[in-house]
Amino acid sequence: MLNFLVAPNSFPLASLEVGHHLYWQIGNLKVHGQVFLVSWFVIGLLVIASLLATRNAQRVPRGIQNLMEYALEYVRELSRNQLGEKDYRPWVPFIGTLFLFIFVSNWSGALIPWKLIKLPEGELAAPTNDINTTVALALLVSLAYFYAGFRKKGLGYFAKYIQPTPILLPIAILEDFTKPLSLSFRLFGNILADELVVAVLVLLVPLFVPLPVMLLGLFTSAIQALVFATLAAAYIHEAIEGHGEEEHAP
Amino acid sequence: MFDFDATLPLMAVQFLLLAAILNVVFYKPLTKVIEDRSDYIRSNEADARERLAKAENLAKQYESELAETRRQYQATIVAAQADAQKIAAQKTAEAQQEAQSQREATQKELDQQKQAAMQTLEQQVESLSHEILDKLLAGV
Repeated sequence: MLNFLVAPNSFPLASLEVGHHLYWQIGNLKVHGQVFLVSWFVIGLLVIASLLATRNAQRVPRGIQNLMEYALEYVRELSRNQLGEKDYRPWVPFIGTLFLFIFVSNWSGALIPWKLIKLPEGELAAPTNDINTTVALALLVSLAYFYAGFRKKGLGYFAKYIQPTPILLPIAILEDFTKPLSLSFRLFGNILADELVVAVLVLLVPLFVPLPVMLLGLFTSAIQALVFATLAAAYIHEAIEGHGEEEHAP
Repeated sequence: MFDFDATLPLMAVQFLLLAAILNVVFYKPLTKVIEDRSDYIRSNEADARERLAKAENLAKQYESELAETRRQYQATIVAAQADAQKIAAQKTAEAQQEAQSQREATQKELDQQKQAAMQTLEQQVESLSHEILDKLLAGV
């Protein structure tokens, strides 16, 4: 798709390849190699930053410890705002990792000139611009909120489907499908569209004109990570809290 | 664009692995650090507040002691002044009385001497008049 943009005689600064993947064969399974390469880079970055931050943790934070503590407090605050003071603690690692992974993926796609590394096929980009990644994350969110609901209420979790009125049952069931769908496509679409817009602009007018769009892309990437994590937390909260609970959060 | 393959489950597994690793190397230790720090700050703050309250109590106590002392010394001054005035008045009265009595004694002595002198004078007058009379009568 979109290969028509790669005109044979065009200026060779930029070209678009969407739908081209570096396929790896594992057994009889095919995987997208470029996605894994960049995601390993992202994972490595996160783990190394965490190790550096906690290797010599001080009471008065300095340098990278300060940065990572800021990140931790940010995701803690995010999950506490959504889940409430009582329930947020066990979910901080999941929601925080969602945020950090998506955020670092998006920004690595936008900031690091992956183009300089040539692959036999396809190109390196943010892992989140591959539908497999976003669907995987969205399905994990679905599993997480089902798990949260069952853990909290057992089979009583199903009561929420018919809670205000059984008439809404089809919509309640439909919601369970639309949630991961909207989560995954929102992230995928935003990141892919951002990278495409930048690529097209670079193709048309190289150098300085795409810069504002790139900045906008950075902004959108950060916002998308925040939106994904916030929605995940909100869904989990919804599953925990439900409609018919006696306790109402203030 | 929409080709799903084994990337999806592998990515999910990879993500869960990342969450587990970060839980061990990032969330747990840093959360502990942050909570330890807030505990430390809280306990320090409580300690400092306690000490401040103690200091304020001490200051209040000292101030009341100071006020007490000031009242005492003012009372002492007033008492001393009163004493001094009393003594002065007493001494003045004594001195006046003494002067009075001395004057009276002197007066009395004076009167006595005057009377004695008068008596002597009268005797002398009598004897003189007798002499004069004798002399005059002797001629006769």
